[in-house]
Amino acid sequence: MTRIKHLYLHVPFCSSICYYCDFCHRIFDEKLSERWLDRLEEEIRENCHGQYETIYIGGGTPTVLSYVQLESLLGLIAPYAKECIEYTIEVNPESLDEEKIRLFVQYGISRISMGVQSSDDAILRSIGRRHSFSDVKEKIRLLKKNGLENISVDLMYSLPGQDLDILEKSIDDVVKLEVPHISLYSLTIEENSVFGKKGISNLDEEIEEDMYELIGRKLKEKGYIHYEVSNYCLEGYHSRHNMGYWDYEDFLGVSLSASGKIGNNRYTNTRSFEKYLGGKDIRDENLYLENDEMEFEHIMMSLRTIYGLDIEAFNRKYHCDLLKKYHKGVSNPDIAVKEGRLICTNLEILNRILLDFMI
Amino acid sequence: MNKKNIRNFSIIAHIDHGKSTLADRILELTDTVSKREMQDQILDSLDLERERGITIKLNVVQLSYKAKDGQEYIFHLIDTPGHVDFSYEVSRSLAACDGAILVVDASQGIEAQTLANTYLALDNDLEILPVINKIDLPSADIERTKKEIEDVIGLDCSYAPCISAKTGLNVEDVLEGIVKYLPAPKGDDENPLKALVFDSYYDSYRGVVVFVCIKEGKVKVGDHIRFMQSESEYEVTEVGVKTPNEVKRGSLSAGEVGYLCASIKSIKDIHIGDTITLKNNPCDEALPGYRKMNPMVYCGMYPTDNNKYNDLRDALEKLQLNDSSLTFEAESSKALGFGFRLGFLGLLHMEVVQERLEREYNLNLIATAPSVIYKVTLTDGTVKYIDNPSMMPDSNLIEFIEEPYVLASIMVPNEYIGPIMQLSQDKRGIYKDMVYIDDNRNQLMYEMPLSEIIFEYFDRLKSVSRGYASLDYELVGYRKSNLVKMDILINGEIIDALSIIVHRDFAYQRGQAITVKLKEILPKQQFEIPIQAAIGNKVLARTNIKSLRKDVLAKCYGGDISRKKKLLEKQREGKKRMKAVGSVEIPQEAFMAVLALDDDKN
Repeated sequence: MTRIKHLYLHVPFCSSICYYCDFCHRIFDEKLSERWLDRLEEEIRENCHGQYETIYIGGGTPTVLSYVQLESLLGLIAPYAKECIEYTIEVNPESLDEEKIRLFVQYGISRISMGVQSSDDAILRSIGRRHSFSDVKEKIRLLKKNGLENISVDLMYSLPGQDLDILEKSIDDVVKLEVPHISLYSLTIEENSVFGKKGISNLDEEIEEDMYELIGRKLKEKGYIHYEVSNYCLEGYHSRHNMGYWDYEDFLGVSLSASGKIGNNRYTNTRSFEKYLGGKDIRDENLYLENDEMEFEHIMMSLRTIYGLDIEAFNRKYHCDLLKKYHKGVSNPDIAVKEGRLICTNLEILNRILLDFMI
Repeated sequence: MNKKNIRNFSIIAHIDHGKSTLADRILELTDTVSKREMQDQILDSLDLERERGITIKLNVVQLSYKAKDGQEYIFHLIDTPGHVDFSYEVSRSLAACDGAILVVDASQGIEAQTLANTYLALDNDLEILPVINKIDLPSADIERTKKEIEDVIGLDCSYAPCISAKTGLNVEDVLEGIVKYLPAPKGDDENPLKALVFDSYYDSYRGVVVFVCIKEGKVKVGDHIRFMQSESEYEVTEVGVKTPNEVKRGSLSAGEVGYLCASIKSIKDIHIGDTITLKNNPCDEALPGYRKMNPMVYCGMYPTDNNKYNDLRDALEKLQLNDSSLTFEAESSKALGFGFRLGFLGLLHMEVVQERLEREYNLNLIATAPSVIYKVTLTDGTVKYIDNPSMMPDSNLIEFIEEPYVLASIMVPNEYIGPIMQLSQDKRGIYKDMVYIDDNRNQLMYEMPLSEIIFEYFDRLKSVSRGYASLDYELVGYRKSNLVKMDILINGEIIDALSIIVHRDFAYQRGQAITVKLKEILPKQQFEIPIQAAIGNKVLARTNIKSLRKDVLAKCYGGDISRKKKLLEKQREGKKRMKAVGSVEIPQEAFMAVLALDDDKN
């Protein structure tokens, strides 16, 4: 079996709950987080082997953990991070401080992903965020000061109360931060989020479309490459870890609600603390994927990036002829074959295009 | 059992007057069904019937009742549908009966189909026992309802039981009334066998199970029987009655209603309405059987997946065996491929058939908008009948077109007479008469094109009268009309299955309504799609569907794969209900959009 190159670790705690979020998280609780760390140690020991090319600590909010807890968490991972080429941690401006930043540097973290969402403080409050945009500027300065320059910031659009002008200002403000990677997510109203429960509805489709186009145009002007549906970067700064997902490579996921894919198996861990801390049978979902399913998922993920899918490698992996087997999808007017790669030329309507690949 | 102690009867009523509820109570009172097995509408065995609260198929059950005179009686209750579309099923039921219970809702009084069903019963020489139902409702008016029945139908109501089927109040009076006022069957066991076939179904172990009403003679296991119309012969392997479960018996004799099996391999070998007799001792002449019902409404049905054409044909053949009012023949459409043109008794019949095909036979179907059958006289004098608008000949070849007219009878409370007259005129109705029913209600009579009734007349009638008006209609013949074919073009292409015949005066209005409606219904594609309504080369209305700009999910990382895939699968299921026509996908609803309500709706 080939080596698993990617490791994801989920920190299931936050200091407060943002209104759009239905990820697996709890309000931070010191006692519970200690028990979680103990259990995580076992899970890592059982499941992690060798060295990982990319590691991603996401959440939740990893920085909600105390300095000491972060130190032990990073310590747990350290034996597997010796050859890591991209080691990312997600941070929130309000729970990040210089001490934690130094700790990151000490443990070899090379990339920071910061939840910014908007530069408009009123919008930030209206979606349940606890920071202001000046916090963002200050924390980015601190990160850069300590040598952590590979920073990605998350922004959101299609938010209630947001219009094209507010969005444009956010983009301008973020560009001024001089970070090499920006992710822009449209608000999806999740049933189990605060917004979902309140019955908030999405902005008009047309406005969302206009916003998407505005983002693409503005960031392109500033030299960013639109390399994935929702991701933009300066040359060479695409996320290696996320490219692993989009190239449909194997990955290991640890902690609550994390997913992993190893060969024909995909699992998702439980979202229940009780079950997770109990330690037995922590898998909520454990699928055996037929080759046909893997082929489709591979296409579904790979077409999200401008690099597309390596047709030769695909055919070797699944012993099939992609262009023949998926001729209906391949003949979609927004699908191109370029230098041996299958590429989607209209990322915005990928769902519609993918339907033609479902056989 | 003495024949004098047998009663064969149906319950007839306007829809929602409580027919199935009364049947439930009767079954309970006679301990036919244990409390454990009891469920609402127990005789309605199709899922569709329970969901919609309607009866579509007839059903039969035998029950025994110990009357106040101390004697034991056997009842055969034959449940019937209430809707005008299913009068065929009603007439089948009635032919097997000697009497009928006419249920009338005391808060509504007699309605259009109360009359229609009563006339069917009278045609079959049935004795009728009126029953006033829903007397527990605050708005019930027993005396007025009785008077209506006496004045309008001419039935004596002095002995009519006044009941609440819902609460069970006085339901026993109905059972006593059946014993006292409905006649016993007349047949004689000693005569040669004469049995009416009124229903059948296929059972994979026993072959076809045939429901019969024994009019004369006797039939038992081992008898060699002969179907007089189909001239086929079989040996009886099983006879029995429904209670409502099937219970085997040694024999069935005159006056009884039950079933028989005779190793009949295919349901096609059985004709509903046929007469069964004995091979060695035949009766002289067959029973009259059933009046053939002619379809009034036609539509095309096409499998969304062209490979399911044969499955659709098999399913239609099976449905037709117990519903001879359903007709079908193969047709093809440029847009939809190969399918069938189906004929129905009415719109509800059409809906029910489509739902049964989809549910019971697991088919995904596209149904085109319903059409009536037009009589087209060409300039060379030949006459053509057109049941598919796209087949309408070129206008320069047509001398004139005639369309079917019906006499519509509308029962309506006084305060809604104005709006209903307005509505009927808007729908090209010709006022014929107004009959006084009582101080509050009148019966309006209009002649109007059947096609207008299909195009939303019934829905509008209900809304302008807040549900108080009821409608019944019968065909009165063909009349000349100024009609034209209107085509719908999607992406520049005529979609033949969307063509409709419209009155020239309403063409512009309807073209607008349809194109707007289609714009709402058609999913966005990767390119802009124009929608046009046209008569010949003249475009009457036009809209554009903008191209799809964004549908992709914002986030998709390792943990989102399963979720995202499920979403796409759901989207694909939706797509399965669409038909790809050229490069455009057209969902089922689009074909009904040509029935789009006119602008004056609100």
